[in-house]
Amino acid sequence: MKPHYNKILLTGLVLISGYGIFSGCTHKDVVLPAAASTTPIITHGHHVHLPGLTAGDTTQWKFDKVHSAVNWSTPFLEVGADLTGKFNQFGVADLSTAQMQNYTVTGQPVADTSWAFYENEPAKTHFAGYVQINQINTGEPARDGGCLVTTLATTKIVAGTQNLTVQNVARIKTTSVAFDPAGNDYIVTLNFTWQGGLGAPLTESITGKLTYIPEALVPAGTYSDFGLQLSFQINKADFGIVSTETADKIDIVVSANFNNK
Amino acid sequence: MDDSFFKYLEQLELLAFFSGYSLIYTTAIFISGNLRSKTNFISRRIKLLPFAYALVGTLYLGFELKKIYPVYSFENVGHHIHLHWLVAWGLLSVLFWIPALSKRKALSLIHSLVFFFLILKDIVLQPAAGRDDNIVANDMRVFGASLLLNLAAFLGVILGSALFTNRHKHTIV
Repeated sequence: MKPHYNKILLTGLVLISGYGIFSGCTHKDVVLPAAASTTPIITHGHHVHLPGLTAGDTTQWKFDKVHSAVNWSTPFLEVGADLTGKFNQFGVADLSTAQMQNYTVTGQPVADTSWAFYENEPAKTHFAGYVQINQINTGEPARDGGCLVTTLATTKIVAGTQNLTVQNVARIKTTSVAFDPAGNDYIVTLNFTWQGGLGAPLTESITGKLTYIPEALVPAGTYSDFGLQLSFQINKADFGIVSTETADKIDIVVSANFNNK
Repeated sequence: MDDSFFKYLEQLELLAFFSGYSLIYTTAIFISGNLRSKTNFISRRIKLLPFAYALVGTLYLGFELKKIYPVYSFENVGHHIHLHWLVAWGLLSVLFWIPALSKRKALSLIHSLVFFFLILKDIVLQPAAGRDDNIVANDMRVFGASLLLNLAAFLGVILGSALFTNRHKHTIV
């Protein structure tokens, strides 16, 4: 290519490039996007769920014990990975002294109606519940029906009997429920009562977190279901339980399902 | 999302590799033409410009092969490449490794000008299409990167050539 043409081309390229830089300049500083908000998005609906026992009444919500669970976990030997287990028998009832006895039944011995849930009015929400200690289930029958019965200061399971005696139940009962300012959950203050290895039941005030899984039609579409998940922690040493196999702190998660069948 | 966004990204890739060569080429020719001695360093290296361009083309070929890795089928190539003709044109730059073709330096300039015209098209058309300064600003940033890439390729080829020539002389002796 002749030098003359090259000069023309070079001039053209420089001019076009210069114009491109000039016209592409927005004269604006690149503004960084705003930082993501750390404020939680809290939305509470207006569901109200009240208990009942009338089958077919869709305004009454029934505790679905079969599809609920009370699970616990604690570090094995105080240092290892979690040792986990559950309780096979539990209920949503505020047991009176008179109700704390043996029942020769296989189903729920006491009506599971000691609860009410107001999604947007937590002050009106309340619940009470219990577990049968000797129904502990770690998946090792020899342990569950053996050393654990002794460790937990209770008695062995009697077939066909629901043991709600004071030595064999641990109970919870809410004293206050409030919105969790950090999220969509609720902060629950409850009384945890258990005799354990002590001479008489001890009641401790414990704080836990309650999560509401909103009401929804089940896939088959014949009824609705909602869930409550409560998590809290107890210190077994406070209740006279001596065991180095587990840590003192025991995490408990209650997963409760309710339906309006 | 249609594939217009992916076409735009592919165009930016092509600009990044090839658009800067034309300015490097004309500048190098201009400098060598202004120097009195035709045996100076730059003048003697001007003939290496097409090889630098071929090196950039080879890098682009590797970039495209990496994109379609590990399935080198026509179907997969079709999925990953949207500007078929433009990509094929870009890949033709590899042919400048052939000495017979690289002797005709102006061909490499013509090849590169196709990509510079894409920038010119955006400069001319984008303002008319709605004053989106960001398109042109993007093009110019990529063009700047392309200038650096092509300059580095040119210097790399010069260095490689010097090493090869030096070694060749020693071998002959």
